[in-house]
Amino acid sequence: MNSVSRSRRRRLSAAAVLGAIALTATACGGGGGSGEGDTVVIGYTGPLSGGGAAYGENVKIGLEMAIDDLNADGVEVDGNPVTLELKSLDDKYAPSTAASNAQRLADQDKAPVVVSPNAGAIKAIQQINSGRSNFLVSAYTSDPAIVQADNPLTMMIPPNFESYAEEFSETAMEHGGKKLALLGTQSEYGQQWTKSIKDAWSEAGGKIGGDNSVDYATVSDFAGPVSKALSEKPDAIFVGGPSQPTALIMEEARKQGFKGSFLVMDQAKLDEMATVTKLDNLKNSVGVLPVSEYEDPGTEDFLKKFAEKAGEKKVPTSETALNYQGIAIIAKAMEAAGTTDDPEKIREAISEALPDVDDKYKVNGFPDEITEQGHLLNPNLEATFLNEDGKYTKVPIEQVSDEK
Amino acid sequence: MTLFIQQLFNGLALGGVYCLAAIGLTLVFGVLRIPNLAHGALYMLGAYITYFFLTTVGVPYIAAIGIAAIMLFIVGVGLERLVFHPLRNSPHTHHMIAAVGAMFFFQALAQAIWGADFRRMDTPITGELRILGAEISAQRIVIIVTAVIVLALLALFIKRSIHGQTIEAIEQDRVGASLVGINPSMVSMLTLGLSALLATIAAGLVAPINLLSPTMGDALNLKVFAIIILGGLGSLPGAIVGGFALAIAETMTATYISSAVGEAVAFIVLVAVLAIKPNGLFTKAVQR
Amino acid sequence: MNAMKNPRIIGTTAVILLLGLTPLAFAQENYAMRVITVGMCAAIAVYGLNIILGFTGQLNLAQGGFFGIGAYGVGLLTTDYDWSFWAAFVVSVIGTAVIGYLCGLIALRTKDEYFAIFTMAIGFIIFLVISRWEPVTHAHSGVNNVKFPEGGGLVDFESPVAMFYLVFAILLICVYTTYAIRRSSVGRTLLTIRTSEDLADAIGVRVGFSKQLAFAASAVFGGVGGGLYATVVGFIGPDAASIDKTFEFLMFILVGGMGTVAGPLLGSMIVTFLFELFQDFQAYRFIVLGPIIVALVIFAPRGIVGYLGGFVDKRSRRRRAEAARGADDDLDSTGASTSGGAGDHRARNLADGIESGAGRTGGTPSSEETK
Repeated sequence: MNSVSRSRRRRLSAAAVLGAIALTATACGGGGGSGEGDTVVIGYTGPLSGGGAAYGENVKIGLEMAIDDLNADGVEVDGNPVTLELKSLDDKYAPSTAASNAQRLADQDKAPVVVSPNAGAIKAIQQINSGRSNFLVSAYTSDPAIVQADNPLTMMIPPNFESYAEEFSETAMEHGGKKLALLGTQSEYGQQWTKSIKDAWSEAGGKIGGDNSVDYATVSDFAGPVSKALSEKPDAIFVGGPSQPTALIMEEARKQGFKGSFLVMDQAKLDEMATVTKLDNLKNSVGVLPVSEYEDPGTEDFLKKFAEKAGEKKVPTSETALNYQGIAIIAKAMEAAGTTDDPEKIREAISEALPDVDDKYKVNGFPDEITEQGHLLNPNLEATFLNEDGKYTKVPIEQVSDEK
Repeated sequence: MTLFIQQLFNGLALGGVYCLAAIGLTLVFGVLRIPNLAHGALYMLGAYITYFFLTTVGVPYIAAIGIAAIMLFIVGVGLERLVFHPLRNSPHTHHMIAAVGAMFFFQALAQAIWGADFRRMDTPITGELRILGAEISAQRIVIIVTAVIVLALLALFIKRSIHGQTIEAIEQDRVGASLVGINPSMVSMLTLGLSALLATIAAGLVAPINLLSPTMGDALNLKVFAIIILGGLGSLPGAIVGGFALAIAETMTATYISSAVGEAVAFIVLVAVLAIKPNGLFTKAVQR
Repeated sequence: MNAMKNPRIIGTTAVILLLGLTPLAFAQENYAMRVITVGMCAAIAVYGLNIILGFTGQLNLAQGGFFGIGAYGVGLLTTDYDWSFWAAFVVSVIGTAVIGYLCGLIALRTKDEYFAIFTMAIGFIIFLVISRWEPVTHAHSGVNNVKFPEGGGLVDFESPVAMFYLVFAILLICVYTTYAIRRSSVGRTLLTIRTSEDLADAIGVRVGFSKQLAFAASAVFGGVGGGLYATVVGFIGPDAASIDKTFEFLMFILVGGMGTVAGPLLGSMIVTFLFELFQDFQAYRFIVLGPIIVALVIFAPRGIVGYLGGFVDKRSRRRRAEAARGADDDLDSTGASTSGGAGDHRARNLADGIESGAGRTGGTPSSEETK
């Protein structure tokens, strides 16, 4: 083989590859920059690839729907019509990538608001969002640590997850019995839930077996962990992680003869779970209320629009619905503050903007106040119990304070 | 005691899962010395294509697995031609990173086609068996049995058939093999294609007890490497023993110690074994 | 030697100068400063990988784990125990060195593929400990509000530019260390081991001890990079120690050029830049990035520095042929060859090594063939 010509061919190919990269680089670089005229970028950084991609996509759909609707209705700030534009970046669930993304959205796209749907990422973003850079974090996480950080530019959207523990425990105890097995997922959030349920359950006078938490994302076969949890002969089991694996765990438990009740963490949605397993396996469970069971003024239309956008088969979840509401609130706050580029003023104006938000954006338990630390509060929080007949009955939830 | 028997069966089923997933990798890593980190992605792709033929097209379960296996054979050959063949004289590092690149590509591709949502594959094999008070589903029994049969067939293929013998010849003496007229390039293609085909059979059987997602191969990837290294590179009996041993160790420690230890035990066992026997349990006289 | 005229030194210096001047252009761009500074932290860990993989030829897949230990050391000591950054940093680096040395004691008993997978298992165990040992590491909740380095009233490290120069200064030390190792007898010892352990053993090199040192040194660099990373980003989660980090580092070193002085830095910066660039494609970026990675590995197997080095070699060879004089200070003995599987490959490497030992640089047709 003529190795000299071969090495030259290699060099040429390498040069071609490098050249192609450089070309793409310039092509992409040109596309950046802030929008012209009255376009305001709403930033979003979430997991769009990797294990959390489905979750990140659900959030993104809500943001897109809200921005489409708001632009159709027309947003007017300080007398000028404003067009909202969504810019999404993928962080693969990694906090430091999320913070870099947020910084980029704030610096390059001049986004006054960045949405992030995971507690770790939000904590990393809170290191940079009020100081040299200024932007509001629209935080989709139920972890109260986000508001305990006293970050002046945070808006926390969902209810504090600790609110659920007491009512979930009582309901599950009533329909199952006193002995609880813990089989939640091994994520940050799953572990916080496990702890909160543990406390509430003992307070209500129940007994708790060992902690059988497993990482739902890496377990190849759920039979082992389920057998172990059932060996404690529990009357109720705490489960939860993403909807679909949670459904599989419940199915496996029923197959292995479990008759008691389930406490389902809010990350898993009962209606979404019903798409991968029979409803029979899910009965006798307490969990969060499916979006389709809400009776807010805008819910029905929202469901229709969602089906048009995402297909009939896909189940709308609170990730989509609550972020839909969240963007509507932010847009209204911009109008009230009369500015699109001062995040402090926007944050301040949220309180007065809340009552003015159009009814069509009230879809999933609309908040009527925002706490000083930035938590949106919905006065009538409800969860659900899926009974033996496969019907969702509502369970009112009393909200706990965000203080530690 | 019932718990112990139940977990023993669960462990065996998990061992079947690991063995099935490991077989293809043992071939490629053990025989060709290519640490194919994209193996998990091939497994994932196999699962999705099986799912596509089963659910979207509507062919019977076994046929769906068969069609997908053939398609993946072609993907495997393509991977060898486009990625590993140009790197045949490069050190491991290059293969590894190229395989990571291929893995990224396959995952993004699957997400672009099928979306990020979890999917469930239904199987016609239903029902449970009760043995000594323990409950085990028919699908899991199929997994255990298939794992053993496929491994046995593979061993037979390598010992008895011409193609298999060329693989073994390459494994034993690369230079000698090419001297007697074996085309190493053909063998590489055959081996990678075969490994992708085996990964698809594994995925078609295992996917119904879990879920489909673009990252479903990730969780298996690291463990499968641990298994084949534990057994000894290129050793098929080693892969069987390694797979079942690690799975039972995992299930039992998770049951009797804690689930966190259960998750780590595969790697702790690996570290412990290699610290004592640096070449794995079933070391063959491999060329260095 | 004639260092001032050596194109490699000129090139490396130019890259470093250029990097050192970036704050002039981007001081107001927090995003750019952040990405570059985080990239430099990774580059430091990659220099560690360069010692064990690039020089010694051992594929160490625990580097992400050591990076994580450094990061968590600094993170936990400055928050839960309220130490000053500097004390925490020094202790973390020493801690990483000790853990690295101990891991090396067992890991280096294994060879080749076994070593790679063994270190991968070590890295994964480190990750599992960090992500599961909740009472100490806070598991997935992560460590928040990691302290900035104390400036003693002279420097305010909360300023991104000051932070940049801190990391930059430490990076320079790493580059210089790499350069010094390459030129020293230690470096030659390591390169001999890479070429052939048997050969090294035969000529009286203490193979085990040298590998052990190289492994510990690479862990130390990993710890330094991790410790700085913790203070730069302020919040760390278990992903700081994940196996993905290791593969990221591998990608950096491979794109830059293994066993070279400038490679790790160039590779880290270029790949980081590529990843940020393709962010616009969101979830689909890997449909493009995946093949690019594969193409880079196939078409520029010795990395960018190795690739550029090829031109330099050609020129200097020509000049040397004219001068017809031998002795040569070999800065780049052709990046990439680690121990391979096949016998013929091994033999070629040996030949390659002997050739360079006899005073010919890489990029010769015969060495090109093995790459």
